[in-house]
Amino acid sequence: MRSYIVFTKKELIEYGRTYKFFILFTIFIALGFMNPLTAKFMPKILESFMPEEIEIQLPPPSSLDSWAQFFKNVTQTGLFVAIIIFSGMMSREYEKGTLVNMITKGLPRQTVILSKFTASTLLWTLSYWTCFVITHIYTMYFWKGETVLELATSTLFLYLFGIMLISVLLIGSTLFKNSYGGLLFTGGFIAILFLLKLSHKIDNYNPLQLANQNINLLSGNLHPSELKSPLFVCCTVIILSIISSILIFDKKQI
Amino acid sequence: MDQYIEYLPVIIPLFIIQIILSITAVIHVIRHPNYRFGKKRVWIPVVLFIGFIGPFIYFIFGRGDD
Repeated sequence: MRSYIVFTKKELIEYGRTYKFFILFTIFIALGFMNPLTAKFMPKILESFMPEEIEIQLPPPSSLDSWAQFFKNVTQTGLFVAIIIFSGMMSREYEKGTLVNMITKGLPRQTVILSKFTASTLLWTLSYWTCFVITHIYTMYFWKGETVLELATSTLFLYLFGIMLISVLLIGSTLFKNSYGGLLFTGGFIAILFLLKLSHKIDNYNPLQLANQNINLLSGNLHPSELKSPLFVCCTVIILSIISSILIFDKKQI
Repeated sequence: MDQYIEYLPVIIPLFIIQIILSITAVIHVIRHPNYRFGKKRVWIPVVLFIGFIGPFIYFIFGRGDD
């Protein structure tokens, strides 16, 4: 247990010293500010691009638009940035050989994996929820009195989806000695999720729903209970990924 | 101009974050002149003028090991 805490601390310090935490955090803060702003400006931007002959009637932006921006930006930009930042989790250690010393001195191998997962999840948690709070404050400021349904559940779903991607990235990063291997592995995983969308039957279990259906949840078109099975699959993937990363790393030559 | 005053509470913090990001990156570029690729005279404008993406690319891909 002590080695777990010490190694997690070392991980966090490393994220700080390599500016990775700084970059992730500032980008998420910036996204938090940008979401309500883009939602507010979107009709004006569209208008300026339209030729004058075409008259379009755009409804005034609502708080739902602001949250739509949140879910769009976090899934497209935020998760992308997070995955790139975490992509070298294990492979950088292989490349530099920095783990050899610690493991030969008696650091349990599973501790390494668990600490890596904890540290990256902590960073994701902090950045994600900061972004959420900022968007929330400004959405309340710009659209006073407007509320959306199931906001907490909906954001929690996307948060879990992020953790799932981190855990999948952990397997990828443990498997390959090159950090691009981990990236490709996660990319492949996401591609498979998108392919599974084609089949209606499987799509009911597709964890991608947790990142895609958020707006339907907010507008009341979908009840959270309908996403029970994707949620279950998502949690299973997280647990299985961690276990298999530990198993892979146990056999890995470092 | 009046219509934009309403947005100042968002635009100002966004601007400040941008400045912090750029300045931190510029200081790092100048202080650590060994990069994985590129040169100082390339990195400084990249970091200063390409919004949020410049500093991101620098810290993640361009920064050399200390």
